[in-house]
Amino acid sequence: MLRATLRSFLAYKGRLLLSCLAVLLSVAFVSGSLIFSDTVSRTFDALFKSTAADVTVSPKTEFEEGGQFPSGRVPTLPAEVRDKVARVEGVQKSWLNVSAENITVVDSENNSVGPDTGAPTIADNWYVTDRSPVELTSGHAPRGPDEALIDADTAEREDLEIGDPLRVQAAPGSFDVRIVGIATFTTTNPGATLVFLDTATAQRKLLGKEAAATGVQVQAEPGVADAALKKRIAAALGPADYEYETAAEQATSQAEDFGEFIDILTYVMVGFAGVAVLVGVFLIVNTFSMLIAQRTRELGLLRALGADRRQVRRSVLTEALLLGVLGSTLGLGAGIGLALGLIGLMSAFGMNLEAAEVTVRWSTPVAAYVVGVGVTFFAAYLPARRAARISPMAALADVETTGVGRPLRVRAVAGTLIAAAGAAALVGCALSTETSGAFPLLGLGIVCTLVATVIAGPLLVRPVIRVLGGAFPRVYGSVGRLSQRNALRNPRRTGATASALMVGLALVVGMSVAASSITLSFDEQIDRSLGADLVVQNDSFGPFPQEVTDRVRGTDGVGTLVRQRIVQTRLTLPDGEEVMSPAAAADPGLEKVTSVEYVKGSTRAALRPGRTAVSERFAEKQNLKVGARLSARLATGERMRLTVAAVTRTGSGEGLGGAGLVMGLPTLEKAAPGGLDSSLLITAASGTETKELRASLDGALEGYPQVKVRDRADYKELVREQIAVLLYLLFALVGLAIVIAVLGVVNTLALSVVERTRELGLLRAIGMSRRQLRRMVRLESVVIAVFGAVLGLGLGLVWGVAIREVLALEGMTALGIPWWTIGGVVVGSALIGLVAALLPALRASRMNVLAAIAHE
Amino acid sequence: MSTPETAKPDGAAEGAGVAARAESLTKAYGTGPTAVVALDAVDVTIARGRYTAVMGPSGSGKSTLMHCLAGLDTVTSGRVWLGETEVTGLDDRRLTQLRRDRVGFMFQSFNLLPTLSAAENITLPMDIAGRKPDKAWVDTVIGTLRLGDRLRHRPAQLSGGQQQRVACARALASRPELIFADEPTGNLDSRSGAEVLTFLRAAVDDLRQTVVMVTHDPVAASYADLVLFLGDGRIVDEMANPTAEAVLERMKRFDVIRHG
Repeated sequence: MLRATLRSFLAYKGRLLLSCLAVLLSVAFVSGSLIFSDTVSRTFDALFKSTAADVTVSPKTEFEEGGQFPSGRVPTLPAEVRDKVARVEGVQKSWLNVSAENITVVDSENNSVGPDTGAPTIADNWYVTDRSPVELTSGHAPRGPDEALIDADTAEREDLEIGDPLRVQAAPGSFDVRIVGIATFTTTNPGATLVFLDTATAQRKLLGKEAAATGVQVQAEPGVADAALKKRIAAALGPADYEYETAAEQATSQAEDFGEFIDILTYVMVGFAGVAVLVGVFLIVNTFSMLIAQRTRELGLLRALGADRRQVRRSVLTEALLLGVLGSTLGLGAGIGLALGLIGLMSAFGMNLEAAEVTVRWSTPVAAYVVGVGVTFFAAYLPARRAARISPMAALADVETTGVGRPLRVRAVAGTLIAAAGAAALVGCALSTETSGAFPLLGLGIVCTLVATVIAGPLLVRPVIRVLGGAFPRVYGSVGRLSQRNALRNPRRTGATASALMVGLALVVGMSVAASSITLSFDEQIDRSLGADLVVQNDSFGPFPQEVTDRVRGTDGVGTLVRQRIVQTRLTLPDGEEVMSPAAAADPGLEKVTSVEYVKGSTRAALRPGRTAVSERFAEKQNLKVGARLSARLATGERMRLTVAAVTRTGSGEGLGGAGLVMGLPTLEKAAPGGLDSSLLITAASGTETKELRASLDGALEGYPQVKVRDRADYKELVREQIAVLLYLLFALVGLAIVIAVLGVVNTLALSVVERTRELGLLRAIGMSRRQLRRMVRLESVVIAVFGAVLGLGLGLVWGVAIREVLALEGMTALGIPWWTIGGVVVGSALIGLVAALLPALRASRMNVLAAIAHE
Repeated sequence: MSTPETAKPDGAAEGAGVAARAESLTKAYGTGPTAVVALDAVDVTIARGRYTAVMGPSGSGKSTLMHCLAGLDTVTSGRVWLGETEVTGLDDRRLTQLRRDRVGFMFQSFNLLPTLSAAENITLPMDIAGRKPDKAWVDTVIGTLRLGDRLRHRPAQLSGGQQQRVACARALASRPELIFADEPTGNLDSRSGAEVLTFLRAAVDDLRQTVVMVTHDPVAASYADLVLFLGDGRIVDEMANPTAEAVLERMKRFDVIRHG
């Protein structure tokens, strides 16, 4: 029996090729993502371990200020801390560390020399330890206020040399330096741009304080344990006054921060793998069903010769196993290639991983084989059971294909039930008033409707394709009629083939509806609430140097200028509960540049000293009324007492940064002076055209490439771009699904062509030309693809509308239907059909007429 | 032992013209010492308006002869004409057109497209060509074959005999110059077979068609005007106005030649 299985596996190897490709793709993404993330985390773990000082002392902070709304206020400690540390027994050496991350460095042409990948530009004071990640490779160390080093990778990318001038824009102000040396990474370059200054310059120019630092790094004497030394230093300085970390602790916390970035990448890759697996299952089920249909007589003969059902089933499953092992092995190889490709891509983005060794942990091949073999086995199980039910009589009967006439009643019942459950979940999600309750219902609804459509797909084949292919006979004559009938001929097969395409397209359409609803909602909110003519911001909504504000203020034609700052706060509510919330602070006059709707109170009331506005949702959730007293703590420890004076209406003003709290800038300044603005809302003075003002602002801010002047349309575009980035990622994901779905269509057509050999031979004999035969296969392919697209569109629209209902709870009330995407999906699927039919059509038309009509 | 002398005058004697003709038609499969010669320099003429049967034991090359005459297969050497058109040397496109417009086919089995109704199958060659069927003629054919009440059925809903009648109707519907029937009764019981043969006879007598039928059944051959006997790739004999007994007697001599 095993020999018969092997023989048939080899005999049908051509037909299993595409299934093997589907397994390969799934496994490649699974193993590629594992290898990539293992390699990157190992490299960076090593980097963090090798560069962390034995003990690090840093300023005490209340909480880590989230990267999303940095206030631009850098926590510092007094320089004398180092003197105290140096006196602690067991300390061999110690250094002051002065570091600023929110800086911009521009060259003589006012272009930023920082990375354009979102990685930071960091300025540090220059000191050398045996743990330094860089070493001086040319020039000399910086001495004095106008000398700086730059890292070699940046120098190469930006074509900078010793002697070139640079302008560093730090929080306290900009200053000019000259490159006096190049520092080269001795370890992996994580992609940042580094600038080094001497310590005094760094203190004065980066922090704006003479005797301050952002940390102290300590090297222990040989034989002194890090943990012991940390304890001693903490005791000497006061355990509660600063934060202390050993090298191991620091490496761990750095790795954790970095891990979030790697996690995102891994999730994306796992998403790809999941999509590949999901769509691959359809392909494999279909292939095995068709192979078994074609081999009905052969399997019947086996049964007639005495093989029992179990043996037949096992024979099919053994084939699946062979396919799974083969696909997994090839997929593992492809996964290593994929990981190498990603690592190469990272170095193109400035993250230099070339020195890194590719890490393949034992769990990677295990995961690869579990996924590959598991998926194939799972997908082949139903067809194998069907094969086992073939009666010995099938060997004698002249049946064309099995599965054509079997009733779809079970599918109808199951499909209807699951669809009803899905619909109920989606309705429940639409009616839900809490985001937390709506999300699980949304997920359940999406899964149920997807499963229901897959199950009931074959039932929809006849009605939908009758309509879609309705014009074929009239336009293409008998060729059109034949292709329409062929698509209708085996609804299960057509349904399963189209399902693979449907999944991908439903995702595209659903996400597009969600994205365009979000965009449209933001557009509407911006139109409604942004009264300013121009907005000055940087691309990441982060803070910018004070100089920018000063320059804008000094520009002719500026009427109203409202500064806005954003800080992260920890709020203590009246009932004692603590929550984290971002807060926005704005100049009085905010009401002139915005029009926010309030449930209670007004902008004016909220901006009075010691007052604040809260959002309607926040107020409802925390049961806050006007007059409620809050205590807000900043990361640097300062405390503000605030009284709720206004409640903003949901869906209003949320396009302006989305902060939960809005207060007057003086209120914030009083508690925490020296923050940085993160946006400037500007109206033109009467008599000045917005266009003129914009031109003069552009001129005034020429030296500040990090900020941009935007009018309302630009502002909308900015929001749109941010959503588009997410969408592109999704489209890439779906692109993969579609590639596999195309493989599925190719597979189905190719097997159908083989199955219909005699029919095609007859058609050729009675005078159908090769061109007509090709067209017949193409039209069938197009109608199957468009059928999949129609199902996908329907499902995607339902999902999109349901997602919008959840978004509406977040204030995004507009419903945007992306007509262009929908049109593109339909046209694109027809093209997909044409492409998928290329090879099968060629094969059909090349078929030898005589072989096809010859007697058996 | 080809019989050009006997075949030619016989076709010419009818005076009705020549439907198809082959001159030293040779067909070999493979090359060198392993080559199998299916047809060995065959000269044959098919007279227009007559019912010709090609008989011979299996492996005698009768199907190959039909395939070559019908432009389904290429020849190794020799020339073939259909009417005035030389078939040998035509490219695939012209061959396809020739089959579509000037030849009708009936095969032993699998004659019909399972997705099309009987009526759609009958007019398929004309639909493929994009020509309008001659309604009156098609009705005549359908009437003659008594298919009027089966037109909307799919092949799966028809009996074997009915399926072959539909195939016959399709072969006739485009009023071809020549109908090739390859073992048309091979899969039928004797009653249905007789019915189909009677219709083919009627097609020649009443509808003035030309039929070439390949068969190994003496009874089927007895419906023809002329029987050509093929043996080892050559035409070895022929018989006009055959009877089943005479054909059977003649066929027995093949066995004698073979085994004796």
